[in-house]
Amino acid sequence: MSWAVYAVAFRSSARRTVQAPGQLVIRVLFYGVILGVLSALWKVACVVNGGTIAGYDFRSMLWYLVASEGAVIAINPRLIEYIGVDIGSGGIAIEMLRPISVVGLRIATALGEALVRFGFAVSLGVAFAWFTVGPPPDLAAVGLALPAAILAIGANLAAQHSFAAIAFWVNDSKAAWFLYQKLVFLVGGMLLPLELFPPLLAHISRFLPFWTMSYVPARLLSGHFEPWLLLVQAAWLVALMAGAAVVFGIGQRKLEAVGG
Amino acid sequence: MRAIATTMKTALIEAWTNRKSFWLQVSFMIANDLAIVVFWLLFFRKVGTVRGWDTGHVLVLFGVLANVTGIAMGILANARRLGQMVADGELDAVLALPVDPLLYLLVRRVDTALLGDLVFGPLIFVASGHVTAESSVVFVVASLCAAAFFVSFLVILGSVTLFIGGRGEQAELGFQALLMLASYPIDLFGGFIKLLLFTAIPAAFVTGLPTRLLTHFDWGEAGIFLGGSLGAVLLARLVFHSGLAHYRSGALWTRA
Repeated sequence: MSWAVYAVAFRSSARRTVQAPGQLVIRVLFYGVILGVLSALWKVACVVNGGTIAGYDFRSMLWYLVASEGAVIAINPRLIEYIGVDIGSGGIAIEMLRPISVVGLRIATALGEALVRFGFAVSLGVAFAWFTVGPPPDLAAVGLALPAAILAIGANLAAQHSFAAIAFWVNDSKAAWFLYQKLVFLVGGMLLPLELFPPLLAHISRFLPFWTMSYVPARLLSGHFEPWLLLVQAAWLVALMAGAAVVFGIGQRKLEAVGG
Repeated sequence: MRAIATTMKTALIEAWTNRKSFWLQVSFMIANDLAIVVFWLLFFRKVGTVRGWDTGHVLVLFGVLANVTGIAMGILANARRLGQMVADGELDAVLALPVDPLLYLLVRRVDTALLGDLVFGPLIFVASGHVTAESSVVFVVASLCAAAFFVSFLVILGSVTLFIGGRGEQAELGFQALLMLASYPIDLFGGFIKLLLFTAIPAAFVTGLPTRLLTHFDWGEAGIFLGGSLGAVLLARLVFHSGLAHYRSGALWTRA
């Protein structure tokens, strides 16, 4: 029963996203701007370093960026803030009346929206990268990159819901999303591959969940056939979903809403 | 002007009222800014100097950018929301007040989190190693002029909603693109994109030119920059006030 409800929420959200082309076009165009800027940066960086940096040449770096940026841009960047507003305003109390998990339904809805955005954004990214540097370096790894991207988006959504639940305690999670976003940008490997980090930071990053949200699909798409990365992602996804359910459960029990 | 100053003071007091939340948000923002700086530190550690840019130059760039976002998105938080406010008919109550509507709208709301940038900007500028008495003055003046460019750009894009309708999507895209492009050294770009940065998306005036003035000061460029920022403000006012003639009431009289 509940799976059917999640599926309906997922489908309706995906349909709504397609039916609001304004927002979709803006996100995709913004993704294009990011890719343009970062490709200019890494092109110059590769040239001044004799062609490769930490094992990445410009071709593999550009394909890395297509996936690392695409997996992150797919998700509404202010999701944490919006969840926080719903919690802080007490609006979430209405959702608690339904005989289904609040956080489960929210993640299913957000996933529908994110996968549509991801599809459109990555289509643009693939066209841009193909035109600029040619096909991806390893076609077998491309086959792994797609499921990895879906797992990455799922893990990111689950973690964002856990993070946003801070609003149950401080009534304002607006600033939390800035911090969360930067963790994904940096230790998640969105801006640069973990291989460019100093050894200690790279080691720490691999113990945190954020690298499963951006680095993993990007590493695969950049030509590295490493199937074990999907297993790590799947394990983190389960842990993060469970974490979100627990934190929301505790938060919902302490929520005090007036009126409505 | 007294009414505008009082409105601004009220908005700042409003942000300051919840001290715990204020400091939490400011701290988060500083941590957020630090993450970007860490990216550049890692980048230059691995890559070395790129087209004359090193860590020190990028720290100057981020010092200016943090000040600009602190002013444009923190103190004048409504600048980014102008198009959405127009679409929601939220100008009604403002137009009935005996104040300049654009100025009033801009100073009406403060975004607490972004105020953290105003702490971070000067700190990161000091860390850049480019601080002297003269450069400190240039830093303050250049940040104000760059903020004028940034806010004017947002006002112009938001005002477009008055002419073409919609929900201000073009303003959001422009905002994201400007912020993104202003976060990178201008010398990375060439040809058409560089031309774009000096015209349609004025990122060159938000960080490129201010950073250059702080590292290689030139009176001629400073004059052009000052004059340009004044021109941008006047243009933004002109577009907004021309657009008001097209504004359709949302019959919302309670959201001034």
